[in-house]
Amino acid sequence: MPVIKDISIEIGMEEVLRREGIDAGKDMRPRIKEALDEALEEAGSSGLIEPVAAYESYRSTGMSEAGVRLEGGGEITGSLIPEVFPGADGLVAMVCTIGQGLEDRVREHFENGEQMRGLMLDGIGSAAVDVLSIEACHRVMQSLSARGAAVSSPVNPGMPGLPLTEQAHILELARAGEIGVSLTSGGMLVPRKSASMVIGVGENMPRWTQEQVCAKCFLRKNCLYRVRPATRG
Amino acid sequence: MGDDLVKALVDLDEDKVRDVVKSRLEAGDDPLGIMDDARKAMEVVGDRFAEGEYFIPELVFAGEILKDMTTAVKPYLNKASEQKYMGKVVLGTVAGDIHDIGKDIVGFMLDVNGFEVHDLGVDVPPRKFVEKVQETESPILALSGFLTLAYDSMKETVEALADAGLRDKVKVMIGGGQISDEIRAYTGADEFGKDAMAGVALAKKFIAAE
Repeated sequence: MPVIKDISIEIGMEEVLRREGIDAGKDMRPRIKEALDEALEEAGSSGLIEPVAAYESYRSTGMSEAGVRLEGGGEITGSLIPEVFPGADGLVAMVCTIGQGLEDRVREHFENGEQMRGLMLDGIGSAAVDVLSIEACHRVMQSLSARGAAVSSPVNPGMPGLPLTEQAHILELARAGEIGVSLTSGGMLVPRKSASMVIGVGENMPRWTQEQVCAKCFLRKNCLYRVRPATRG
Repeated sequence: MGDDLVKALVDLDEDKVRDVVKSRLEAGDDPLGIMDDARKAMEVVGDRFAEGEYFIPELVFAGEILKDMTTAVKPYLNKASEQKYMGKVVLGTVAGDIHDIGKDIVGFMLDVNGFEVHDLGVDVPPRKFVEKVQETESPILALSGFLTLAYDSMKETVEALADAGLRDKVKVMIGGGQISDEIRAYTGADEFGKDAMAGVALAKKFIAAE
């Protein structure tokens, strides 16, 4: 099972503010900027973010409208995979996490009455998982490209056509336990600042931007994490 | 003077709020009047949040200013005029769900707006909610949940409340994620709130109707 550990996470202020619903162009109050600066420094200097990703490649043994069967007996149910990459001859199941440290620190801040600091640090954690996911996908793409295969952009459980219940299968396929990621009985990832995804492998695999994904999501109208078309300039 | 304080707090002018409160207290102004102005200001802050002018960080910032203000005013309140809590709220994220940030912000905003909040944390089973409501005699139960499976847990919690003979004594509000009136009806809750300030407004409404 390949594990990626050497990913450097750099997070900009804009990425955190977007998760709080604030446009980067908006004037920020000094107190809010101060809290964000402090939280960025805290996240960067105290080892709160420990990025790691685990993935595994599988050959497809059959694809139908209901989902895809994989070598070794694995299966992912749902219409999304056959819909978006019908030509895939294999899949990569991947899980990323930044670990438990940041989450614990956020809790401490809230318990100590430092709500603003906790809020900002939580936003940094969410941004870090996104940055990690993008970089880990890029690494997988590089690795498989070297072997002559193309890879698609990722799809995540919870997207229409890939039920959240499939997350358990994806974690199993990616051997997530080896990097300390598990599921609660309700299907939530632990540590919470984690993400799971599936990537198509084959010829002419489709790629898309996060903006395109957000535009199709049923949460597109009010999700704080959505990426909207640029309005500047 | 009152308008100065309301404007300063609405504008999130931390230094001005501190100065106005200090001057008013030193001038012998009624501390309860000061807190009344703060409540008026927080209503405007809530409106600005609802209108999309303020975002969660501004809401939390306003809460922090109000918290500091309350600390400054408290020594000036005598026993008779000491502010009592507006009411009690038992709060938690329902069983199966461990999302906490939204719930924590609701708890904070309820707290700074004068409610005694009993936060049970995350992944709280129905029995624990019922026990806490019985122990505190809280008239309000606030259930948070982000996942769709949380809706079933909310429903089970409302049913557990009814089984304990408490349903007609306790108002239940729910919030988190994509909560709608359809989901509220499914869970059997009384009301739903889209955000922290809606939660505060609902809690005030419940208390006023008591």
